Amino acid sequence: MANLVVIKEQKDIARKTPIEDFPDPKIAVVLVNQQTGAANTPIVSVGDIVSIGQKIADSKQRVSAPVHSPISGKVLKIENVFNSCFGYETEAIFIENDGKKTKEKNLTPISESELAKTTNEVLLKRIHDAGIIGLGGAGFPTSVKLSLPADKKIATLIVNGAEGEPYDTADERLMIEKTKNLARGVRVVRQILGNPKVIIATKDSKVEAVPKLHEAFSQEPNTEVIAKHLTYQQGDASILQKAILDYETPPGKRSYEMGTIVQNVATINAIANAVFEGEPLISRVTTLNGDVPEPKNLLVKIGTPISDILKQNNVDLNDISSVVVGGVLMGQALQTINDPITKRTSSIIVFAKSKAKKGQPTTACIHCGRCITACPVRLHPIAIHNAVTKGDFEKAEKLWANDCIACGTCSYVCPSKITLAASVKMARK
Amino acid sequence: MSNESSNELVVNPAPHITSTMSKTRIMQYTFAALLVITIVTSILWISVSCPTDSQLDSYPTLSNVWQMPLGLILLFNALIAMGVAVGIDVLFNKVVSDSELNIWSSAVFGLIVALSYSLGVPAMAMGADPIPVANFTAPNAFLFVALIALIGQVVFKKVQGIGGRKLVNPAAAAKLLILLPMLGSMLLPSEHFASFEAGGLAMPRLAGPIAATEIIGSNGGGGFGDYLIGCFANPSSMEAGNLNSLMLFNKFHGWPGGASSLLVIIVGIALFALGYKYFKWKVTASYFVSIAIMSVLMSTIYADADLLTRLLFTLFIGSSIFLGFFMATDPATTPFSGTGQLIFGVGLGILTVLIQTYMNFFGGSILALIIMNLTVPFIDRIRIGKPFGRK
Ligand code: SF4
Ligand code: SF4
Repeated sequence: MANLVVIKEQKDIARKTPIEDFPDPKIAVVLVNQQTGAANTPIVSVGDIVSIGQKIADSKQRVSAPVHSPISGKVLKIENVFNSCFGYETEAIFIENDGKKTKEKNLTPISESELAKTTNEVLLKRIHDAGIIGLGGAGFPTSVKLSLPADKKIATLIVNGAEGEPYDTADERLMIEKTKNLARGVRVVRQILGNPKVIIATKDSKVEAVPKLHEAFSQEPNTEVIAKHLTYQQGDASILQKAILDYETPPGKRSYEMGTIVQNVATINAIANAVFEGEPLISRVTTLNGDVPEPKNLLVKIGTPISDILKQNNVDLNDISSVVVGGVLMGQALQTINDPITKRTSSIIVFAKSKAKKGQPTTACIHCGRCITACPVRLHPIAIHNAVTKGDFEKAEKLWANDCIACGTCSYVCPSKITLAASVKMARK
Repeated sequence: MSNESSNELVVNPAPHITSTMSKTRIMQYTFAALLVITIVTSILWISVSCPTDSQLDSYPTLSNVWQMPLGLILLFNALIAMGVAVGIDVLFNKVVSDSELNIWSSAVFGLIVALSYSLGVPAMAMGADPIPVANFTAPNAFLFVALIALIGQVVFKKVQGIGGRKLVNPAAAAKLLILLPMLGSMLLPSEHFASFEAGGLAMPRLAGPIAATEIIGSNGGGGFGDYLIGCFANPSSMEAGNLNSLMLFNKFHGWPGGASSLLVIIVGIALFALGYKYFKWKVTASYFVSIAIMSVLMSTIYADADLLTRLLFTLFIGSSIFLGFFMATDPATTPFSGTGQLIFGVGLGILTVLIQTYMNFFGGSILALIIMNLTVPFIDRIRIGKPFGRK
């Protein structure tokens, strides 16, 4: 992996800024579907009064995760809006905040002393009912990921604290400020998985987080904190496993088949909140960064329109060129600044018109081969791009386009500024 | 929701940032490297007049040439080749609607043409030698350089580029095409053998035993090292010079780009370091390693008196040292993958030594390059190593 491309972190200010509570929105726009897997349908109607934590969308399918109201108030309308989880419009429930903060208490907290006696069934149901999905970006329902076939033994749980995306520091702040909560979240997952070895994997550049992790996890059984130099690409679960455990998971195989489960720190934090506080996933920590007056980390309600956050943080709305959520390398550019925060919005990165560097135009491939040496899964992005441009998707598939992990490194390094990653994405099934 | 939705956002696919390395920057770096070589070589060569007074006196075929400082001829060549290449690029951009303007790439091409055009009348040149030595100096050199730049830019860069990827190195292909009619006399020193009978220097054959100063067996009329000195030493100085320093520091004949091997090595490595991972340095490395191995092999087969003479020649002849760093690494005409580049470099090295040895074409690397260029589409099809996790 000596060939992995190092990308500048751009985290200097945000990583030092403590998590700040962001006020509840006046109108929350809660997307009905934020998970990968089966689709939810709304279970409230226009005019209904909902309370904080009330389930408002759900599915009967197993591979799904319900969605809860982040505020109390009235359902104003159910309408399609742009969904940054998928890159197209889907249904959203608009809720008007009544300011009463009425809470629904349908998830009873489990005390830490009760944990050992609690069955996996109860814990997994709790994780499902709390609507927890992979918050590292994948969005896969966590309860399903943790429900393993009975004969499957997990040897290692890797807690992914690599947070490779430039600008993003939400996970890093969680590791600094919520270390104890993470430790108890890890205990839950470890128990579900039958007490595997736990590795907390993070980057050595997270200088404030590393000692906190060592301190919080030093008393935990069979647990190791590994803080090493990791590149952006090693934030991906499969590439991280290679970096930590030195094996390559064959494409198509789930990581549990290799005896490993990888959980993102934000997901672990959400699990701890759901189990010990009885809190469904209605808020998350997100980083506001890029061309903003003050880069920071915010604890924000899911469903908060991003425009609220930008206004409150004095971002000049007339000077915005683009807003990217979920990471500048893998994330999604918003269509309007009114698009809402989702469970997967790990960051909001603003690019200002006034700071935009002169764009480099896309030119013909110069055949430097850099995209090939840079691809962490050893694909030939330019060959796939050429096949896709010719409409030859069969060839693209033969070139293993489906193995792409969508890291965007190929486009990042290309001196001709060819949108290789987008082409490979088109070829993926 | 207020009126912010009217605020048009740019929506591009991920990733939303790119590295600062661009095609223009790669070309600018390369241009700077070639410019350094051009300027330093011009300075090294400025005090040598070409041809020398004594060459003019004793060389009937030089009656129509212009006597100029050798360094100045190189500078003019560089300006002419760049002017032609850039001019055509601008013209195409104006006339052909979808022709990209590539000023830097054209300037780089121009410098490569100038630096790979042999200059300097060798010290050993003798009146009866049938080599058209006038072509190694002004004004013929100016004309040929302009022609090579013209044909290279139009045929091998523009026309060849229409189908997508270029197949052969434009500078190499254009040079070979233009000088082909003079293959026997100018490119292949086999005529040097003939000149022996006519009183010229009888050059030892490479497909036979060689030594620095002695004649081994009946191979040639002098030592191979002596021949090289006669070829590359400063023609205006009475001192013959030392073979090692000549091959390494400053030759006065042949490809100006390779006049000083040390200069090329320093500038080349600096360039690769600047654009590490964007330049195909693996071609260069494997090329020189395979040349060295081939050279030692040939020395052993032919029982040379020493290994060094052949090695100094194969590694440091201007065409090899310059081509290895600046032409064999042309991205368009070399393989994509690292392993492909290694295969390419090894093939190039082997072919170069074979052509030098058995065709008597001392600048044979240029022909080897074109042959290897043609194999690139095949090399690129070989997939070495499987994607992540696949066995
Ligand atoms: S986006 Fe896909 S093809 Fe491009 S570098 Fe990443 S894994 Fe490779
Ligand atoms: S990085 Fe860009 S220019 Fe280089 S080979 Fe890949 S597509 Fe071509």
